[in-house]
Amino acid sequence: MIDPLQASLKISGAGLEAQSTRLRIISQNIANSQSTASVAGADPYARQTVSFDNVLDRASGLSLVRVKNVGVDAAPFKLEHDPGNPAADSDGYVKLPNVDVLVELTDMREANRTYEANLQVAKQSADLLNQTVALLKDA
Amino acid sequence: MISPLSAIGSLTLQGASATTPAVSSVATPSGPSFAQTLASAAADAVTTVQGGEAAAIQGVTGSMPTFKVVEQVMSAQRTLQEMISIRDKAVSAYQEISRMTI
Repeated sequence: MIDPLQASLKISGAGLEAQSTRLRIISQNIANSQSTASVAGADPYARQTVSFDNVLDRASGLSLVRVKNVGVDAAPFKLEHDPGNPAADSDGYVKLPNVDVLVELTDMREANRTYEANLQVAKQSADLLNQTVALLKDA
Repeated sequence: MISPLSAIGSLTLQGASATTPAVSSVATPSGPSFAQTLASAAADAVTTVQGGEAAAIQGVTGSMPTFKVVEQVMSAQRTLQEMISIRDKAVSAYQEISRMTI
């Protein structure tokens, strides 16, 4: 039997891990928003997506969150007429990644807020645990 | 399952009988002694503190996520504080006994 407050610390820790992975994927997407292919006519960087999953930690019986999988966005690539680009096809069109920076920034904000929420839970649990242990002192 | 309060009572009794063997005719409770309980708790605490130290080192080298390091180090710190508080309690209990008027 795990202490409930320590359990919430563990759960929020898993939340922090999941949200930081999400933030990592977002930063990849933003950094590669202009990455074209090195071969003419080939596909550029495809936007990556993150999905979360509820997983039962058998040792402690807790419901933790984890990153289910990192997928690839199937949305079509943007086309831009740029015949001088080495990645341009025979018609002079270059495929640009299907990354919308505005969408990524919105997603980043959400990841940020969720991370902060988990952090707040961790802070509260740790604070309560410390206060409980402090009961032992000079009582 | 013995109730926690009576467990404390029996531990206290045993502690008292350990310091005053003359009155050992008092019913000696079964189960692990106070010292044994304390020793096993201390062994667990040492493992936790060592885990915290290892996590701190891994955090410096960057091979462990920050929040995991924080989690482990905080757990080690809390365990240490717990052990210190329990030791203080035990010491003050023995001092209380030594101040007993004979």
